[in-house]
Amino acid sequence: MSRAAGVLRRLAAARTSRTDAATGRRTQVFGCRGMTVAAVAVAAATGLAACGSSGGSGSGGGSSSSAGLSGGYGSVPAQHGTAKKGGTVTVAEQPGSTPNWILPVTTSASNTVYNDFSFGWEAWTPLYYQATGVTPTVDEAMSPADAPKWSNNDKTVTITMKKSWKWSNGQPVTAKDLMFTIDEIKAAIKQSPANWAAYVPGNFPATLTSMTSPNAQTVVMNLKNSVNPTWFEDDILTFVTPMPAAQWAKTSANGSIVDFTNSSNAAKIYKFLSSQSKSLGTYSSNPLWRTVDGPYKLTNFNASSGAYTMVPNSAYGGAHPGGNLTVKMVPFQSEAAEFNAEKAGTLDVGVLPESDLPQSNALKRQGYNYFGYPEFGFNAAFYNFKDTTGDWNNIVKQLYFRQAMAHLVDQKGYVNAFFHGAGGYGYGPIPALPKSPFQPADAASNPYPFSVTDATNLLKSHGWTINSGGTDVCSNPGNGSNQCGSGIPKGTKLSFNLIYNSQQTFIGQMDTDLASKAKKAGINIKLQSSNFDYIISNYIDPAAPANVNKWAMNDFGGETNSVYPTTYGLFNTGGSTQIGDYSNSTADKLIQASISSSSASAVKSEASFLTKNQPALFQPEPDVTYVWKNTLSGPPAQFASLTQYYLNPQYWYLTK
Amino acid sequence: MLGYVLRRIGISIIIVIGVSIVVFLMLHFVFGSPARVVLGPKATAAAIKVWNAQHGFDAALPVQYGRYINGVIHGNLGFSYVEYEPVTTLLNQRWARSLFLAGVSLLFAVVIAIPLGIYQAIRRNSLSDTGVTGIAFVLYSMPVFFLGLILIQVFAFDLPIFSFEGSQATSMLGVMADWGAMTLPIATLALIQVAQFSRYMRSSAMDVLAQDYIKVARAKGLPERLVMLRHLLRNAMLPIITLIGLSIPLLLAGNIIVEELFNYPGLGLLFYQSLEKEDYKVLLAYTLIAAVLTVVGNLIADLSLAAADPRIRLA
Repeated sequence: MSRAAGVLRRLAAARTSRTDAATGRRTQVFGCRGMTVAAVAVAAATGLAACGSSGGSGSGGGSSSSAGLSGGYGSVPAQHGTAKKGGTVTVAEQPGSTPNWILPVTTSASNTVYNDFSFGWEAWTPLYYQATGVTPTVDEAMSPADAPKWSNNDKTVTITMKKSWKWSNGQPVTAKDLMFTIDEIKAAIKQSPANWAAYVPGNFPATLTSMTSPNAQTVVMNLKNSVNPTWFEDDILTFVTPMPAAQWAKTSANGSIVDFTNSSNAAKIYKFLSSQSKSLGTYSSNPLWRTVDGPYKLTNFNASSGAYTMVPNSAYGGAHPGGNLTVKMVPFQSEAAEFNAEKAGTLDVGVLPESDLPQSNALKRQGYNYFGYPEFGFNAAFYNFKDTTGDWNNIVKQLYFRQAMAHLVDQKGYVNAFFHGAGGYGYGPIPALPKSPFQPADAASNPYPFSVTDATNLLKSHGWTINSGGTDVCSNPGNGSNQCGSGIPKGTKLSFNLIYNSQQTFIGQMDTDLASKAKKAGINIKLQSSNFDYIISNYIDPAAPANVNKWAMNDFGGETNSVYPTTYGLFNTGGSTQIGDYSNSTADKLIQASISSSSASAVKSEASFLTKNQPALFQPEPDVTYVWKNTLSGPPAQFASLTQYYLNPQYWYLTK
Repeated sequence: MLGYVLRRIGISIIIVIGVSIVVFLMLHFVFGSPARVVLGPKATAAAIKVWNAQHGFDAALPVQYGRYINGVIHGNLGFSYVEYEPVTTLLNQRWARSLFLAGVSLLFAVVIAIPLGIYQAIRRNSLSDTGVTGIAFVLYSMPVFFLGLILIQVFAFDLPIFSFEGSQATSMLGVMADWGAMTLPIATLALIQVAQFSRYMRSSAMDVLAQDYIKVARAKGLPERLVMLRHLLRNAMLPIITLIGLSIPLLLAGNIIVEELFNYPGLGLLFYQSLEKEDYKVLLAYTLIAAVLTVVGNLIADLSLAAADPRIRLA
């Protein structure tokens, strides 16, 4: 999945959208996965071993940036030069991914980082901004509201809008605007749950019992149940983006402002606003979209090509210490074309495609900086715990088997061989990089390091007869500690299928290597290629129960974590975004604690347990690498954040 | 002649209907419905079922096909749930660009290849013929993307004469005027076609030169220039006419690789991106248009052939 609200993250390279096939990732939100986040502060070193690759570093960190970031590919130089006021910066759009949605209530279909992070959020800032830098944590300074205050046993949250935060027409962003937004989200969901990408059935706003406004700046929301405040702020309120009620609460272009608290009116307003959002050709001319509170406003949008231009919003309430740059977003049809533009020097900021990483030093000589970092999330091949083919369900529920499989993942080898040294290790649901405030200590070290011998020994010690190069057979059935495990009859063979997403080359490379190493341990993995959408439509149990016995493992890519990286929905029993029906009572308790207890460290315990328990086969993740001209400067964190897809040009300036 | 044309048109319609059925079924089998694109990967089976019912994707396949064809007849090629645009809008934004790129490159290819092929036939087995043949083989066997990359490296980076990308102008007039940007993509396509056409032309011209009527024309003292123009060119052109006719689908399909390499947003690229995004309404429309163009191209080639060669009787 790629990132964003509520879904699978597809992997990497293209990172076109959080829901489309090109990337291979699901993004969780709302109790499942959510968006990748970064923060103002730049993360410190992770302390992992270096990968030893040329140029790159893997998550072990070869080179380190002058900003104190290590573990990345290349470096982020310190802020330098004298700022020039004004000017234009040309930024590449991701090939084949141009904005096609502008209303801040993002639908599942339009839920892409290109609609949100680098387009919509430039004009309308989320209630709690998710990132600058690479550390996943809410950035209060860039948010239009003060930190939420909790009471009533964490069932009531009070949100106060900052008085300094104003719309571009000079009017303050008020409690009424926030309430309008929430009412419109409710109206959108009522029409279809897919109309708000962050929605998980049964969750917010379904859990909102009442909402009041004691004064012009404050909203008090009462929830049905106690929640974990950090989870609610980081994973839910980050997807609520205040909208201007005084301009948008109408049902037609020339209509008057109506009472949005009336649900019938709210539905009509949503219908009108969403219809305007579908009219791409009017984005720069529609008066609706001229009222903004973000750092930028749109001045030109070419619906045909997807090119657009933004100029600074002088009324922006957040910090904007940069050079008041005009931002020109340029579409590309392919990574090759984008790389050519970088070689020609016509781009100020762009992605360095993975296949062109070996040429990063040539670009540096041309005057570009480059920096790559893994996106916050994890790659994994998922197990199907319900597939009864060959007693697979009984095999995969054995922890020793999943541990043996983890020993066969050559993370260091993958990063060096398949990612050109630019990648981060991942041993559990919280990756080694980017470093999260919620990262447990054991997320940075591999509990099951690569070793075919260790894998073989685990199987041997549990009653399997090893046939290296062939197929292992259970020769000692039973429940004992040295036996195969319950439900595995004598003579059962270790042979199963793995369906992988062939749209991302490195997924196939990793899985082919896994099958090869597994064969040495006598595990026969039958690889089958497919594509992202086909896999998630046909080989995910809740979505396609009829196919439950057709797949033992799938590898569509991975998941993008929310700021608060709970796996609620994904790994809890019966979770709404489950993939292979993993079920563990300890995991259930820990996950439930992550979203409902007041403990800020609950999610650490959850991640720590899951890293050891291996509900999925965790894999490393390639870096997202960006280049930018060395005539462009600003706080290092605001360039590092590009690797997490956050665009903050209000901090940039051209040097004199 | 009229009966032949009408019969061919009838057959063409049947072929297009057949292609549309096959493509519709194949795409339906692969992509099912756009429900998952719209609702997102986490959508439940129940939600998808509801969406399909609301949008007619739960109907029997023949019914869905009938609705689609009815829309096509009325100028509605469907709606792209990925791009939030009617498919016709997406096609309208790009077809002229592809037409220009492929049309101009085809024109250049024909204008260069025909005299070149004749020259080679007249000077066959000479040093110049061998040289041109060698170059043609190199170009013909070269992958388009490789030739494009070489041209970009040499003429855009090493000798910065042309742009590394196709025109980004927003109007067609702007594109047509932007020769600095359009030269390399046109040259890439044209060079490959020159290699192909010139080989056919050389071979055909050599056959014609061996015919008795050429010897008679020369024997009766007709100037060589007239022999070439009146007798050789017209007769040797026949296979090229067929080739050009078959190239017509490219006029709209453009060239996926060249458009991607040169960042040129045409129809070929739209198809490629739709394939990646599984935007099956666009894929369906594009394939249907390609089918129409292919049968039209064949028809035009046959009719042109008959017009060029009175010996060919249409029956």
